[in-house]
Amino acid sequence: MIKTIAKPAEKKVTGCGECRSTCQSACKTSCTVGNQSCERITREQKIEKK
Amino acid sequence: MIHTFCYHEKHYVYDSGSGSLHECDEKTARYLSGEPVSMTKEELAEIDALKRAGLLGAPETKARPIKSHAAKALCLHICHDCNLRCKYCFADEGAYHAAREMMPFSVAKAAVDFLIRESGDRKVLEMDFFGGEPLMNFGVLKETVLYAKEEAQKRGKKFLFTTTTNGLLLDGERAEFLNEEMENVVLSLDGRPEVHDAVRKTANGKGSFALVIDKIKNFVKMRGDKHYYVRGTFTAKNLDFSNDVLFLADEGFDSLSMEPVVTDIPDLAIREEHLPQICAEYEKLCDEYIKREAEGRYFNFFHFNVDLEGGPCLEKRVSACGAGNEYFSVLPSGDLYPCHQFAGEKEWRMGSVFTGVERADLREKFATNCLFTRKKCEDCFAKFICSGGCNANNYHFCGDINEPYPITCAMMKKRIECGMHALAERRSREK
Repeated sequence: MIKTIAKPAEKKVTGCGECRSTCQSACKTSCTVGNQSCERITREQKIEKK
Repeated sequence: MIHTFCYHEKHYVYDSGSGSLHECDEKTARYLSGEPVSMTKEELAEIDALKRAGLLGAPETKARPIKSHAAKALCLHICHDCNLRCKYCFADEGAYHAAREMMPFSVAKAAVDFLIRESGDRKVLEMDFFGGEPLMNFGVLKETVLYAKEEAQKRGKKFLFTTTTNGLLLDGERAEFLNEEMENVVLSLDGRPEVHDAVRKTANGKGSFALVIDKIKNFVKMRGDKHYYVRGTFTAKNLDFSNDVLFLADEGFDSLSMEPVVTDIPDLAIREEHLPQICAEYEKLCDEYIKREAEGRYFNFFHFNVDLEGGPCLEKRVSACGAGNEYFSVLPSGDLYPCHQFAGEKEWRMGSVFTGVERADLREKFATNCLFTRKKCEDCFAKFICSGGCNANNYHFCGDINEPYPITCAMMKKRIECGMHALAERRSREK
């Protein structure tokens, strides 16, 4: 048995550079890009919710 | 590459090429790990279907990030002084191994001008007010924010401001201003009072917990739904740090981060022999995190955020933090460094906000530096999530920005697995 839990959303744009600088997000000591979310996707989801 | 791991008897498969997470039975996990396991036709068909869909065994990108020299963010060392004397402070208790000094407005203004000038077509710029303790130079902080907003408006750009504070001066006008103007505020608090007080002391050697807790609580209350993080540091003295995270959650904070200390002080530094206990603590914390979320008592723990669906694009994951190329720190003198963790180390001085980047060689080094220049990351499942770690940590512990620090790697991998398990549990509840 194998089932998919999560897979990346298809991104319309990559490398747009809108995302925050990693280190300033929460920690300032341990850069973890994967703990961030894509700014564009987050923004689009917010608009959809509204 | 395919990475299998077991968490409380649940078996997971993470495919780093596609960024997909799957749950499976033990037999399938063993088969995918390369063990000689006899699989039925149906079981193999399931696996093949995922492979055909590009969700298992997918090829990993080898594309180098697009090189850009447009600056995006500055960390402004607005104050090289601090009203606390924390034992583990990487910034030498605020002074950065030099004289204690404040950034004058003339430097902060030049920094704003530098960032705007160097930002090319970027619309959104970031400025972090850092220290020492930035609120000790509140007048300049305020003046800088107002100036940056005015200048950005003239040029069709926007600044996102952030700050990191120990909370001692977080009241009255200062609190109101930060709440109004800061996109995110990082509040330093280590957890249980005795843990906090053992390292975060005032200049006269007393613990600071009682001096800051109400101020930080009031500020968070005032903040409403705006971003903040209560950020702690754990050391070898509190390897049971899950209790500190949960203490902070019990105090009503719902956005938390707890970072391993970066120090070589012998009784505080994290060492290899601590790793089993640290990994066990992350699991303990993760179990409680999942339990509380299921009970409707969710708190956000930064390192368990593994956003597989809406995470950063591969370009970002490969290019990492951008230090020394799109991100710089600015000292009170106006000198530029790749990031705050390199501040004051003369060999890393890159120029000044008055004269611009003078060390084109260093900038090139950081601009071309990416996940694929870190050879030891090639065979790691976590590489597209951690992006090869922190340049400064790599340099300070291993002597090379491209040489990942194994202790950080071990903690990172454990946190990622915890985050993936938490995500799977969330999905299971949502059904």
